[in-house]
Amino acid sequence: MRNIFVVAQNTFKEAIRDKILYVILGFAALFILSTIFFGSISLGEDIKVIKDFGLAGIYLFSLLVTIFVGASLIYKEIEKRTLYVVLSKPISHAEFIIGKFIGLYLSVFISTVLMTLVYLVVVAAKGGGFDAPALIAILLQFFEIAIFVALMILFSTFSTPIASTVYAILILYIGHSLDLILKYAQKHENLSLYFVKTIYYILPNLEKFNVRNLVVHHIYPSGASVGYSFLYAVLYSTILLILATWKLKHEDL
Amino acid sequence: MLSLVHLTKEYGKTRVVDDITLDIESGTTFGFLGPNGAGKTTTIKMIVGLSHPSAGTVNINCGDPRDKSVRERIGFMPEDPYFYDHLTGSEFLSFCANLFPKKSPRKHSDILKSVGMFEYRNQPIYTYSKGMKQRLGLAQALVNDPQYLFLDEPLDGLDPIGRAEIKKVLLELKKRKKTIFLNSHILSDVEEICDEIGIINKGKLIFSGKVKEFCDGKNLESRFVDVINQDNKS
Repeated sequence: MRNIFVVAQNTFKEAIRDKILYVILGFAALFILSTIFFGSISLGEDIKVIKDFGLAGIYLFSLLVTIFVGASLIYKEIEKRTLYVVLSKPISHAEFIIGKFIGLYLSVFISTVLMTLVYLVVVAAKGGGFDAPALIAILLQFFEIAIFVALMILFSTFSTPIASTVYAILILYIGHSLDLILKYAQKHENLSLYFVKTIYYILPNLEKFNVRNLVVHHIYPSGASVGYSFLYAVLYSTILLILATWKLKHEDL
Repeated sequence: MLSLVHLTKEYGKTRVVDDITLDIESGTTFGFLGPNGAGKTTTIKMIVGLSHPSAGTVNINCGDPRDKSVRERIGFMPEDPYFYDHLTGSEFLSFCANLFPKKSPRKHSDILKSVGMFEYRNQPIYTYSKGMKQRLGLAQALVNDPQYLFLDEPLDGLDPIGRAEIKKVLLELKKRKKTIFLNSHILSDVEEICDEIGIINKGKLIFSGKVKEFCDGKNLESRFVDVINQDNKS
């Protein structure tokens, strides 16, 4: 446990001292502020537009933080041999991977909290009051980000930062389209339903975490549904981290 | 005692380390020498448990280096070490120290002073020169006051003053009866520091024994060149 904390603290420190994080956060703040303009050119729907764009912006910029900070996380340590120093100490591969996960997740979490604060201020300033429902969407986004962070860590154990980014974005895209793909396969017999179902159950179903459009229209997920999404995220992230640990353990450094 | 028993490493069909058997008594300063690509770094990585042997075993005090309890007693400095850029030297040392369950009796400030890095301790690592990183690499290997120290090219990239300082640290550790295993190309320094040497060529151990026995009145460098050339011809 102690080693996990030590690695997490170190990863977090490294991440928050990286200038790229502040560049992304700067652009995120600009984007969220610019929703005021998008709102002003809509026809009486300014609050709805601000919420739509604002929540989408928070999601996209959280992904960008994960990609830029996470893609090279393990790969850089192997390439530059920092890992030699760390793994020659009494620390297990699992402690190292979990520590990296927590450190990176924490930096994305704090970045997202900062973006959320800017968003809440913008919505309140435009007369939308305190947008509490948005917090449900952000909470579910945190669950999704956990899976994405774990994915980035897994990919960075065996591929370059660019390849990791491409793989993660592909999975992200497919993960949000799984329900559509399954429905399509069920309607069209020429597509192997068995194959599509296999993909459906193997890849993460990320659309479970997307309630942004719903909360903007005042439709809220049930507590049970949020709890189920939480368990799904925990289970999926755990499996990914176990795979990452296995890969690192069998990596000939 | 450090024992390598029939230690072998293969990458595909290429045998990089070929059936090395070697015993090093505790308290010995051992120089592991060989030309580039001979298998020195691969051997040291197997000794510290970073790389898995294709065959054979490594025992450090009768324990496997992949066991946490064994790693608590070793220090390792990789070749051309690279650290977390955004941390300071002092933070990095604390990070390494915190990975050990027991607190070392040696103060970080003393370790940093001994390797000549105390005044740079609060600077971010990305501002360090190669020689400074090398010194920090040695400092992190000493952070748990290890009984066994494995150093891969510890004197590489250092200016003459740095080399003298690091040699002083190594001689002091030798006096404290630490077991030191070092890979090095700088044979004059090896001759000065080490009690015993092992010579590896094309993955095979071609000599192991006392430095004086190997030199036989000549200097280490010329004997080394002769032995390697002879081995390459045979």
